[in-house]
Parts: sequence; structure tokens; C-alpha cells
Amino acid sequence: MKKTILLVALGIVTLATGCSTLKSNTESIRDLNDPSVSGRTLAEQVCAICHGAGGNSTNPIFPRLAGQQPMYLTEQLKEFRSHTRSDIMGYKYMWGLARNLTDKQISELAQYYKGQTPIPGQTSDMALVAEGDKIFHQGVPANNVPACASCHGPNGYGHDGFPRIASQQQDYILKQLSVFKHTTDRNAGMGAMMSPVAYNLTGDEARAVSAYLTTRP
Amino acid sequence: MKSMIFKKTDLFQFDIKSRKPFWRFVIQRITIALLAIAGIAASMDASALPLFARQTGQNCQACHAGGKFPELTPYGRMFKLTGYTLGKRLLLPIAATMSFASTSVPAAGGGGTNTLNDGTPSFDKASLFVGGKLTDSIGMMAQYTFNNYSGDNHQEGRMYSNNADIRYANHIINDQTDLILGLDFNNNPGFEDVWNSSGVYGYGVVPGAVGTGSALLPMLLSQQLGQSVVGAGAYAYWNKTLYVDLAAYRTGDGVFSFLTHNYNGQQTYVQGANPYMRVALTHDWGSSNAMIGYTFLDANVFESGAQIPGGGFFGNVGGPVDEHRDNMVDFQYQYISDPNVVTVEMEDANEQVFYGNGGLSDSMNAFQAKASYTYDAHYGTALSYFNTSNTANNVANAYAAQSDLGSEGWTPEIFFMPVRNVRIGLQYTLFGKFNGTTAAASQNDTTFLYAWTAF
Repeated sequence: MKKTILLVALGIVTLATGCSTLKSNTESIRDLNDPSVSGRTLAEQVCAICHGAGGNSTNPIFPRLAGQQPMYLTEQLKEFRSHTRSDIMGYKYMWGLARNLTDKQISELAQYYKGQTPIPGQTSDMALVAEGDKIFHQGVPANNVPACASCHGPNGYGHDGFPRIASQQQDYILKQLSVFKHTTDRNAGMGAMMSPVAYNLTGDEARAVSAYLTTRP
Repeated sequence: MKSMIFKKTDLFQFDIKSRKPFWRFVIQRITIALLAIAGIAASMDASALPLFARQTGQNCQACHAGGKFPELTPYGRMFKLTGYTLGKRLLLPIAATMSFASTSVPAAGGGGTNTLNDGTPSFDKASLFVGGKLTDSIGMMAQYTFNNYSGDNHQEGRMYSNNADIRYANHIINDQTDLILGLDFNNNPGFEDVWNSSGVYGYGVVPGAVGTGSALLPMLLSQQLGQSVVGAGAYAYWNKTLYVDLAAYRTGDGVFSFLTHNYNGQQTYVQGANPYMRVALTHDWGSSNAMIGYTFLDANVFESGAQIPGGGFFGNVGGPVDEHRDNMVDFQYQYISDPNVVTVEMEDANEQVFYGNGGLSDSMNAFQAKASYTYDAHYGTALSYFNTSNTANNVANAYAAQSDLGSEGWTPEIFFMPVRNVRIGLQYTLFGKFNGTTAAASQNDTTFLYAWTAF
């Protein structure tokens, strides 16, 4: 056993030596109270832990940020910083992280994520996806639900303050539709527009449209 | 004379006093008291939060699965592996925890926790924490504890050095690689780990909980070396897939003695540098993450402390040395969504003891499993199972395993977190085997009610 340990020790030393030549994209800094730290460093050293490398999260409770519209992301980060976006998961995770971000860092973060390539999710329920496709493009006229595409664009890429929703985590979209429908936690800014839309959307319709969106590249 | 070889777990102390329980009445009374305490603690919530929560500004739930200490989330593990450096440096980096408990056991002198066994509500433990982010690469966490029922007769309170961990971490990220390289220094083998499998912040960690009763446990689980040794090591976590940690521990005396003022006033002495090794494979997918791992510890422990003039057993320069060789396999599965969070963990550990004075050997085995569920970070339940056994070959040695103290049983638990820094829980431990025998084992079934708070 002691031989094994020696071998592992040797392995670690070799690894460490090899790693000394490894170049990192960013500095190994996770300080959230230092205005000199770049947005990219924060994105890779801090945000990536939950939102995934390049903004493609693994766990669906965290939204995918890759390819997100910079104006939208900037507004959300500022709302977290000012505590005007107060949905439960948002304030539990994001208020603290955003509390000392500077406008410059927020802008750099937004630009960084805009430059990342989103990786769409998968679902096996193609019937649900087809139903979601219809709602996304045509809305639900009988219940006064407008087509999502009318604001978020024909491909769900968003523009300006309207977020990209294509490739987004299915569970995250569902959760946000529920927040818009049942609370005013996201109504400080442009989110207020979503409340009447979500209010008229049924649970099944929300599931369908979120299944469709997560599969969109 | 106390055993230096198989120290019972920190959570386990016999009481000298036991009265016939009339615990229904007692539990009612205690529930009211605990709720009152929780109410007071809850009122402090807005302005007073634990150390790391203040540093990151986040909810406990970000790092602890479902907000339940100690189980870590993948984010919590990354926080620790990157050296507690995420967030902003605090001017006053301190926090405290307190626990209140009531324990009730039918058997006279049975069960065993750090509280009285007759259901009397008591102040159990309090800890002061210091630490957090020191520089961009260095952080620490150190704990100093007051145990209200520590000491020889278990009726005197004692203060002692508890867990301490200081680490350096470098996180290298590029298009192909995500690599954390770290250096760690601590005073409890296993504290450097982030999967809650070792005895440190692992199974039955609520102060005063019964855990596995009076069972003899492999050192990785018993924490026998905790606050007796100090160790330094290096670790690497590659692409969130492979974790390797290697450390060596020596006696924490001399300049390190401030880290080893032990809870019972004793210190286990080890010979030379003693290796600790940990390997784990991890994978995240969707809402789930899993880990399968292996840990090895090989400790050469002096059987007894050398007697110094004036009495006492402090220091050791000679005498027989026993080799304690631990192997542990562990597994963890976690499901994290909103509002449901599940953590399932299992540890299977074996220790071989090779005695230095006679060629005899003993072994002990411990299997532990725990499944915890929390809903909305407020309500939860847990079910734990333990099965331990040990041989008793070296009956001639006063410091060796002289009897089978194996135990087997279940601990169902329900708990409630009215606010994020308060937890009230009720555990019931059912023993199928106690001190190596199944006869009348149920006499040791233990009801344990606790309130725990951090601020």
C-alpha cells in the first residue's frame, strides 16, 4: 500500500509540474468586492460553478446564460444588485453575488455570455414539443395568450431587453412562468410585461412551450 | 485510566446518571422550550448570518443541500475546494453555532450522548467559528467549542480546540481543462474532504446525536485522531470528474498544540508521518450528481502516553506502537431541484489493527448509510442505518479491543427549519444490536430532540 501511495504522490507531483505550464484563461480570483476583477474572470471563476462552463448549466434550476441578450442580462444583474428582482431562487443565490458588482463588471459579464455558444437541451416527448412550437409561434388566441415569438423573435433569440429563451433549461422556464403568473417578484422592469401573458397560460401549455424552447438551438 | 486507543466518538459519552424516563411529558415540555429558543434565534436571522453566508451573501441553501447542514451541494464543495475564497473578505470573520438537546433512553446507563439520558433539556454545545477568505487564494475555517457535558464525569463543561482547516487553491480554467490544485493543512483526517463521508461533518453529526452508539469505529469515522494530529496535503480536482488528495499527519504537539487541546484533555500520539489518501470519481447530470470514492489511512499510534513526572499522560517518546490501517469505500447520490432535495450517502469502512506488542491483530467494520430529504428548505426527513462489528483478539492489552462493541440499528429523523439558521429535529434510534449483543438491545433505543442554530 505504501508503494501505491508513493506512486500517487509521484503522480500528483508530475501533475503539478505539468500544470505549471497549463495556461488559464483567467486569474484564479473569486473576489466579489474587487472592482478590478474582470467580468470574464468572474464568469469563469464564480458564475460557472452553477451556470456551467460558457454559461451552459447542467442543473436545470440554474438558467443557461450562453448567448443571452446583453441588455437583458445587464438589467437582471442590476435588479439583483438593487433587490428589485426578488423571486425566491433569485434572491437566495444572486442578491449576495451581485451586491458589489460594478456597472463595468456587469457590462463585461453580459458581453462575455453573449459571446458563448448555447447548447440546447433534449426531450423525448416530441408531441409536447410540437404543441409548444404551436404556442410559441401562434400563442393561445382563445385565452388571449400572445405568441412568444412576437417579442422573443421567431427563433426565440430575443433582442435588446427581451431575453433569449431558445435553449433555455426547461425547468427554469417553467419556474419563471410560475413566478410571473403567481407573483410580482419580477415586475420591477420589463418583466412586468410577462405577468398578463403567464397569467393566462395553463400548466400544460407552459410545460409544452418550455419543452419546445429547450430543444431550440 | 482512559483508553487511548479506541476513543469513542466525540458524540458519545456515557452518563453516570439515569432516571426512569417519563419522556412523553418531558418531550412536550422540551418542545415548548425549543420552540421558544428557535423563536428567539429566528428573530436574529435578518441581521445575523453564519460566516460563509455573510461572505458570499448567499443563502445557506447554496452550499448545503436543501439548506441542511452538513451535506454539501456541488457549489458548496467547489466553495471549499477553492479555499473558501469566493465572496468578499469580512471585517469580522466570525460566526457561532449552538445546540440544545434532550435525550431519553430506557436502559440505565444506556444509550449515550453528550447530554443527560433522562430527557432533561440541556444546553449541549456551542462553537465559535473563525475564518473565510484571507487572500484571493487562501482561506480558512477554524472552530473552538464549548461542550456542556464533556469532562470526566460528563457533568463539567469544557472548551477545546475543534476542527481547523487552512487551504490554498488555484483554479485553472481554459477551453480543455478545469483544474483545481490545492494545498491543505488541518487537524482532523478527513476534514479536507468535501463529501461528508468521513467522521468529520459526516454521519450523525448533529451535536449529541446517538450516531452508532458506543460502537468501535475505524479511525476515518471515529475521529480518534481529530484534534490530536496535524496534517498537510495536496489535492487536485480535474474537470469535475477526478479528485485526488494526499496528505500526511503527525502528532500535533509543540507549535501546533493550540490546535490539539482535545475535548477530553487527552491526546493520541502518532509515530512519524502517517499517510492519508483519497480518490473520488464524480459526475453531474441534470439535477443529479454522484460520487464514488475510496479513502485510505494508515496511522501508527502509540498505545499509551509516556508518563511524565507529576502524573498525567502527556507526550510519548516510546512504548509499543499499533498500526491502524483503514480502507473505506463511499458513495453519494444527490438530487437538487426546487423544492425537492435528496442526498443519499453510504460508507463501508474497515480497519485492521496490528498491535506492536505481541503480533496480534484486530479488525473493525462499519457500514453506514443515510438518506436525507428536504422540501422547500424548510421541512425534512432522514433515515440512517448503521452496522458495525469488531473482533476482540487482544484481550490482554488494556488499550486494545477487549470486547465486541458492534451495533446495528436505524435512525429515522424528522426536522424543521423555520428560518435558514435554525433546525429543530427529532431522532429515534432503534438498536437491533448493542455492545455486540442483540439481547435487550432495544433497551437502548434513544429518543433525541434537538434545536440547532448558527448565527
